[in-house]
Amino acid sequence: MDQSTQINKDVNIVAFYFKNTSRRLRCFPKRMELDGKRVDFTETGLVHPTKKGQRTIHVFDMTDGSADYRLEFDAQELSWKLIAITDNHYAPISTQFAPAS
Amino acid sequence: MPRYQPNLLLPVNAEPPQILHIDLNSCFATVEQQARPLLRGRPLAVTNRLTKNACVVAASYEAKDLGVKVGMGFAEAKLLAPDLIMVETDPPKYHYVYKKLIGIMKSYSPKIGMKSIDEGVIDFHGTRQNVNRRPLAVIGQEIKQRLRDEVGPWMKCNVGIAPNRFLAKTAASLHKPDGLDVITHKNLRSTLADLELTDLTGIAERNQARLNTAGIYTPLQFLDAPADVLARKVFHSVCGEDWYRRLRGWEVDDVEYATKTVGRQFVMDEWQPTEETLHSRLSHLCETTAMKLRYRGLAARGIHLYLLYANGDVWYERKLFKTAVSGGADVYRRAQLVFNRRPRDDWVRMMAVSCYKLEPAQTDQISLLEEINKEAWLTEAIDTINHQYGEFTVTYASTLAAKGLIKQKIPFGSTRYFELLCNRA
Repeated sequence: MDQSTQINKDVNIVAFYFKNTSRRLRCFPKRMELDGKRVDFTETGLVHPTKKGQRTIHVFDMTDGSADYRLEFDAQELSWKLIAITDNHYAPISTQFAPAS
Repeated sequence: MPRYQPNLLLPVNAEPPQILHIDLNSCFATVEQQARPLLRGRPLAVTNRLTKNACVVAASYEAKDLGVKVGMGFAEAKLLAPDLIMVETDPPKYHYVYKKLIGIMKSYSPKIGMKSIDEGVIDFHGTRQNVNRRPLAVIGQEIKQRLRDEVGPWMKCNVGIAPNRFLAKTAASLHKPDGLDVITHKNLRSTLADLELTDLTGIAERNQARLNTAGIYTPLQFLDAPADVLARKVFHSVCGEDWYRRLRGWEVDDVEYATKTVGRQFVMDEWQPTEETLHSRLSHLCETTAMKLRYRGLAARGIHLYLLYANGDVWYERKLFKTAVSGGADVYRRAQLVFNRRPRDDWVRMMAVSCYKLEPAQTDQISLLEEINKEAWLTEAIDTINHQYGEFTVTYASTLAAKGLIKQKIPFGSTRYFELLCNRA
């Protein structure tokens, strides 16, 4: 019943931006290519590490203003994966679990 | 010092406040709004499991304004706020924020303590002369700013400053969200005058009723009550004296409690679970309980089972064994002995497994019995693989059906198993 559309696909991040936070230069995705379409991110929500066993995965929660994107960067394979997209219309509780018409 | 002192008479602690309490506002909901910008400014509830029977574990301030409260069920929340958005908890996000908060707190004092995932205390005693010379209110504002800079602009926290932990927590709850309040001996009475008894942490309906029977109806009356009255007439224990000290700003809560039990519980995913389903869920609960034991280097002698039935009846039984175990198979075997004695009159709705009589695991002691050694080595090998590739990469076949259903969720009171929780496959 998750409201996000699960994608789980490798994607190309074709542009980055850099930010100096806590005396460290950090890198964030700026533009993504998905099925021939370009997505320009307008804001970074939260970047946090997570673990899959001993592998560190950096999770980037991004938005382009009309949808939220969850991207994962595998620090071992240096690859980007789009995990999920949730559009602006997060379904309100009243429509969740409603019987299919 | 004797614990109970008859005729105890203490003034209000006039020491300058040295305790700073930080409370992240609606922590999980705020973190979700930080992570997903499109959720900001909208009523949001975070739940452990996105199902019809879900309950709210955290609500955003927009949702709270509509009357949604923590612990509220799906149906009630839906009535109050039809536009409410519910999302599932995402532990790694909260773990990240938790670690950030610890990092910020540690930069001010070595003596810090996390009360839960979203609450921490900094003890400034001994650091004020050389390191933290600025007023604590200034440091409090700086912590708020650092949280916004280091995590994100949507993050807010309440800061309370007082001479002891209890008053600092009280101060942190005075102006939500994003407040900063200081309680000193000078404004203690005026602060308490604006509060109800149940606004005080630790005073809920039952303690309120106890106080009422002794003629105490307000926090100020509570403050003025003699220690003897609180100990003998109200709480009938040394707790009364603790409250006497606590309200006067003297520290009584700087204590660490040892782990007494380790366990897990699960609300059944099926209304009429078969015997096979029950054993699969039980097996998984036992395996994860054993994982927690090993994570903390403990073994348990006792096992306790608790079942809630569809008709509301509860059944529980415990059994104490001569030897302590920490392997998943051992815990399951022992749990089965108890579980098979349960009444079978109705459907099981919820089951809980906990281990007690904990002691340090003696992993270096090799048994004379080859079978026991083999099992210990197998557990060790499984742990090594799971540590490398994520929990449940190798697991017992009996738990397979439950693996995807029973998710380890956010532990509210304790953060002891946060690292374990985040090491997922």
